[in-house]
Amino acid sequence: MLDLFWVEFKRSWLYLRRYPSEFVGAVVSLSILFLLLFLGARFLAGPGADFGERTEALLVGFLLWTLTIFAYNSLSFGLSEEAQTGTLEQLFLTPYGPIPLFLLRNLAGLGTQLLMLGSIALVLMLLTGARLSFPPLVVLPILTVLIGSYGLGFAMASLALLFKRVQQLLGISQFLLIFLLQVPLEGSGWLAQLGYLLPLAPGAHLARQMMSAGAGLDWGLLGLAFLNGLCYLGLGLLIFSRAVRAAKRRGLLFGY
Amino acid sequence: MNAVLEATGLRKRFGSLVAVDGVSLHLAAGEVLAFLGPNGAGKTTTIKMLAGLLWPDGGQVHLLGQSPHQNPGALRHLGAVLEGNRNVYWRMTALENLVYFGVARGLRYQAAQRRARALLEQLELGAKSHTEVRHLSRGMQQKLSLAVALMHDPELLLLDEPTLGLDVESALRVESMVRELAQTGKAILLTTHQLEVAQRLASRIAIIQQGRIVLEGRTPELLGRFAGEHYLIETETPLSPAQLSHLRSLGLEGEGPPYVYHGDSDGLWRLLEALKPTPLKKVARAEIDLLEVFLKVVGRA
Ligand SMILES: Nc1ncnc2c1ncn2[C@@H]1O[C@H](COP(=O)(O)OP(=O)(O)OP(=O)(O)O)[C@@H](O)[C@H]1O
Ligand SMILES: [Mg+2]
Repeated sequence: MLDLFWVEFKRSWLYLRRYPSEFVGAVVSLSILFLLLFLGARFLAGPGADFGERTEALLVGFLLWTLTIFAYNSLSFGLSEEAQTGTLEQLFLTPYGPIPLFLLRNLAGLGTQLLMLGSIALVLMLLTGARLSFPPLVVLPILTVLIGSYGLGFAMASLALLFKRVQQLLGISQFLLIFLLQVPLEGSGWLAQLGYLLPLAPGAHLARQMMSAGAGLDWGLLGLAFLNGLCYLGLGLLIFSRAVRAAKRRGLLFGY
Repeated sequence: MNAVLEATGLRKRFGSLVAVDGVSLHLAAGEVLAFLGPNGAGKTTTIKMLAGLLWPDGGQVHLLGQSPHQNPGALRHLGAVLEGNRNVYWRMTALENLVYFGVARGLRYQAAQRRARALLEQLELGAKSHTEVRHLSRGMQQKLSLAVALMHDPELLLLDEPTLGLDVESALRVESMVRELAQTGKAILLTTHQLEVAQRLASRIAIIQQGRIVLEGRTPELLGRFAGEHYLIETETPLSPAQLSHLRSLGLEGEGPPYVYHGDSDGLWRLLEALKPTPLKKVARAEIDLLEVFLKVVGRA
């Protein structure tokens, strides 16, 4: 298993090293996206609005969103690409079973994704003059967000497996993630209560609080966030394993 | 004899199309089974069911007693070259592909490295170890696919058209590799449309048509059975029309020379008797090749 992680890890770095233009392209386009959002917000807020502190919060939110998207859609993209090129069936011949393999693949991809995220952060900090600093413990709530995103990613990958062309849906659903990351859990209204059950929401809330409000780590809430993440991961895996069965029954593991 | 592969009563339908209809196959160590049939007969569909990639609607598959449909661990015993030319990652080198898939099949990293290098040498791809697959020729890619299937040294190999697109030399090389692998005790199932290859390699033949196995048996026995009562006759001098019509009534066929006779040896002697005293050039039992058997069996339906 460790060796499998290692070859998956090497594979993701090979692609990065061999095709750096894709990496640069992603960094550039995501940075431009942020700048558009940022300038757009400034424009809407009108002249004189001082963003100051808000810029940092915006940037943090954006980076978290980007990380979530990577975790969420890389599996689906990988699957539909490999169904097209024909390597998907060879993957399904692994005696480890497809789910452990894809889990490891997700995990192994984290390295290059973090590198990409770091590059985007650096570019944007230079361009906007924002300074990011966050308490080290914030990685814990972010981890729960990641776990939940992988769960959603597996659910989405099920659709990719069965219906092949899901790029459109992926694109749109990425914006839903923004909503999930921003659900306010403050207050005691029904929305706040519901928020704890929504995927990603508790972890994102916790991370936001720690970074912008300088709050300490709420361990109780962290436990809840982990539970939430693991539940959605479990759900995603369950859906995915059913999708694999359906795909094998209908002969959908191969190209179009 | 212990069965490496035991498949019974496999059935698969796609919508209203019955692609595979009650196929049973068994394969023992050291055997090469050529799985033949016209386009769309259900060969690839069957192979995918054997590899656990497609769920059969009915029937069972056992690889050394384990079902790949229930237990992915059973796949340790199986290596496959699947139809089409994309069994490997185009953006990785030959060596990287082998190591990756070797580990994905359960090898340790170091072992996979060693095995990959050895296989590359054996397949004369050593010089291309560090070339990305997309820059390899089609035949080289095909050889690499075979190497991927061999990485974890499985007991059973499923090869769907392994010599497709190979040049003469490479095809012969793959052929001799298959032969060597069988000699070392691997069980091999291969499909091909090159019947000469099948005839040279296969210890057994199964012909599938419209999802059903229409003929199965040991290669020499099959050829013998079909060659059976089939003789070629040539005379030194042409036959007169009167002679010919008499001989035709005794079963002589063809517009000749040579003429053909179908029937048992008693009938042949009667025919030769009637030919007397025409000088004979040749009387021979016809050699039949797999192509003729195939055409007869497949044409019959
Ligand atoms: N996933 C699928 N969905 C629907 N029909 C399919 C699917 N896969 C195969 N078929 C159909 O099943 C039949 C058998 O196909 P198969 O690929 O097994 O043939 P084959 O014997 O391998 O032919 P060839 O010699 O051309 O490779 C064909 O009619 C094919 O169209
Ligand atoms: Mg086929």
